Amino acid sequence: MSGILVYALHYEGAINKNSLGAVSEGARLASELGTECHAIVVGETAGLTDELCSSLGAYGATKVFRAEGPEGLAQPVVDAMAKVITDNDLGYALFGGGLLGFEIGAGLTARLDAGVCMEVVSVRVEDGKLVSERPILGDSQISDVHYDAGVGVIIGRLNAFEASENGSGAATVEDVVVDYAPHSLKATMVQRGEQRGADVNIEDAQFLVAGGRGLGKAEGFEALEQLAGALGGAVAATRAVVDAGWYSYSAQIGQTGKTVAPKLYLAAGISGAIQHKVGMQSSENIVAINKDANAPIFEFSDLGIVGDLNKIVPKLTEAVKAKKGS
Amino acid sequence: MAEDRVPTHPVAPSQFPPPVDSVKEFIGAPTDPEDERIEVGVAIVGGGQAGMACAIRLLQLLEDDPELTERLGEVPVAVIEKGKVAGAHQLSGGVMNPVSIRQLLPDADDWPHWGEVSGESVYFMLNRKRAIPLKPVPPPFRNHGNYVVSVAELNRWLSDKAEEAGAFILTETTGHKLLVEDGVVRGVRTGDKGRDKSGGEKGNFEPGSDVMAKATVLAEGCWGHLTGAALKGLGLAGNDPQVWALGVKEVWEVEQPLNKVIHTLGWPLRPGAKYREFGGSWIYGMNREGSKPRVSIGFVAGLDNADARLSVHDVLQEFKLHPKVRRILEGGKRIAWGAKAIPEGGYWALPRLHAPGMVICGDAAGMVNVPKLKGIHYAIESGKLAAETIFQQLKASSTDFSSYERAVHASDVGKDLYESRNMKQPFHKGLVIGGAITNAMVVTKGRFPGGHWKNHPDAEAPLLLTDRHERYPKPDGKYTFDKLSGVFLTGNATRDDAPSHIRIEQRVPREVAEAWQWMCPAGVYEVPEDAPADGPVDLIVNPSNCVQCGAITAKGGRLTPPEGGDGPLYQIM
Repeated sequence: MSGILVYALHYEGAINKNSLGAVSEGARLASELGTECHAIVVGETAGLTDELCSSLGAYGATKVFRAEGPEGLAQPVVDAMAKVITDNDLGYALFGGGLLGFEIGAGLTARLDAGVCMEVVSVRVEDGKLVSERPILGDSQISDVHYDAGVGVIIGRLNAFEASENGSGAATVEDVVVDYAPHSLKATMVQRGEQRGADVNIEDAQFLVAGGRGLGKAEGFEALEQLAGALGGAVAATRAVVDAGWYSYSAQIGQTGKTVAPKLYLAAGISGAIQHKVGMQSSENIVAINKDANAPIFEFSDLGIVGDLNKIVPKLTEAVKAKKGS
Repeated sequence: MAEDRVPTHPVAPSQFPPPVDSVKEFIGAPTDPEDERIEVGVAIVGGGQAGMACAIRLLQLLEDDPELTERLGEVPVAVIEKGKVAGAHQLSGGVMNPVSIRQLLPDADDWPHWGEVSGESVYFMLNRKRAIPLKPVPPPFRNHGNYVVSVAELNRWLSDKAEEAGAFILTETTGHKLLVEDGVVRGVRTGDKGRDKSGGEKGNFEPGSDVMAKATVLAEGCWGHLTGAALKGLGLAGNDPQVWALGVKEVWEVEQPLNKVIHTLGWPLRPGAKYREFGGSWIYGMNREGSKPRVSIGFVAGLDNADARLSVHDVLQEFKLHPKVRRILEGGKRIAWGAKAIPEGGYWALPRLHAPGMVICGDAAGMVNVPKLKGIHYAIESGKLAAETIFQQLKASSTDFSSYERAVHASDVGKDLYESRNMKQPFHKGLVIGGAITNAMVVTKGRFPGGHWKNHPDAEAPLLLTDRHERYPKPDGKYTFDKLSGVFLTGNATRDDAPSHIRIEQRVPREVAEAWQWMCPAGVYEVPEDAPADGPVDLIVNPSNCVQCGAITAKGGRLTPPEGGDGPLYQIM
């Protein structure tokens, strides 16, 4: 038993970006283990079309289990995953992260007497088994976690796993009938809303324009918002400016904020202390604008611009708009 | 060299006191309804060596006294510890005299250490290239028979021993307010959790609780929050005010084991009396079978320094550039960093060690032998003596713990502190003259020149601005480091959206603002880039960087404990 089951969260007809990353990661690990990666979706039948489910094949899932049940709640998913893992003798459960993933993963671990590791940033294969790598001590060290128990539960950190369409095509869809425990049906979804009142989910944005104290004042963010708007992305901030009240906490990146990995991270007036770096270092492309050529951020930027961001950012916005023809 | 900038009117941080009335805010009667209060036998605030030794000794004594144990209730001994685990906020050089731990736990000799001291050297650093060994090694620096330890690690071990003996260790819990009724200390109120920046209650808000105790032990370490309030509010302050030094430490994994302990005096500190720079370094080999060799290296400087631009963290980086140090560290890797204040007032600053219902132990009382750089065994010894007095007096249903103070003064702790009572103060005359006077004191066991050399509060030292900072190396991230990368290594994850636990006057003259900025090893205080060269500065404060070293309390501010569990998570400090 070594097959991997990945939980795929869906909302309004789309699979969550972190879930797609987890499926891709599961598929990569399964191929190294010489086994298969399956996914599971739980929700109302109307929203779980064959098309949506089988699309996970593009990310490497060979089979998708579809269970009808309440949406967005942890306990029903625990029931469904426990059944699929037991019936199919699977070895690992993998989650892309998020609060729901933590809750399901914890419940599943208790249910199956499994081993669990959360906030995992990387998984590797060693001697035919999976080993989770988890940052500890405020991300200053990495610990390796091996699984002793029969089933290993791996809960990724948000954005730790990158979605890639390396699959061989459509996955087969298998309906499973789950006999939900009475307590699993006690909770109902009343309302969904974005945590902490953020307008844009910066963890999912492909383009992030982040501002630091180098902006000089709160009004400096206006130019960043225009650039983010032109790029079709979102605005993020450092702890220093959030502390100063220039921007909302929901946009804070770093050790004590959010961890992001967009395609482009444009850092404006950010010095790049390690506490900020750990929140954005896995971004695909890092571009930094800073007037201080000695700022540490230039040491891990793909492109660095030494200059006055008040002049550069508006020009960049114009250039992006011109290129996009709007 | 640029001219030193000496203000026309002397400016000192003490002229800008923190906006806090610690007696009013941190001492008071219980507020929880009676049936909601938590009853314990003895409440020990602080799970360091003093607190743990006190807990262990109490439980040893209670083991043979079921009658008193019964009277102390379901929780005979509770240790209130603000760190994530016991030891999380513990830092020392550290060389320990093993005498006290052996007396406390004669049957357990498996306490963790990093080797017995087998060799030692003291150097006087002349400049950035040269050093001369002091031979023979001056008596206070002789360490044969002592052990290199990590107090963070030692405390995890002591915590296990205390727990095995039956102590309740309440980690992630702060002692926020001393509960006093009718002049008798009745326990402590623990701190709230889950408040937002403006003090409002978040969704996960948990109020603190009144912990009622028949005896309260303040073993809070070098910057005792409740101790500070008690000294004022209960009139316990000593002859002289307490003074502190700041120590910044790194632990390195190295290729070649260092088989000795090294102390240095002199460079990079400046000898001129006007700078008031008193301190030195330590470099201790940490060797243990099955572990890669390590080195503990640190720098200590008195916080009554005059130059606002003295930064102990950066002095340590500068010090590492000396070829003598490079030879030891080069090719190695820094694995840990930390900082802590050290009470250096010695004998004259010792407070009264008891009040009705309460005693003060260890660093909280300033039990540090400055010339010998020792304090760990005093902490253990005082915790043990406190336990013995408390046990005797509780048996007699008394809250009079005055015999603890007599026991401390009669012990080696009191004797050593008395002998070294004047040994730090002469250094205000500069290193050479001060050193000569202190040597005379060492030789005569403090009899010559006798008398009472006074200490003055660190925050009253007038400040000047020099070009000191231009000598600090630019961090390369491999051998020399900035402050924030150190904070990162401590595992500090203090919540950002919590109320600030640092009470300071935020609008101060540039001298004071810079003094705090440079002093703080964790980058908590920042002078804004666009601040005026003259006139008041509006400081930026980053409380979530704070590693709770306590320096700000010495230098004119007031540290209070943040939410329990916040702060560093030292492993090997």
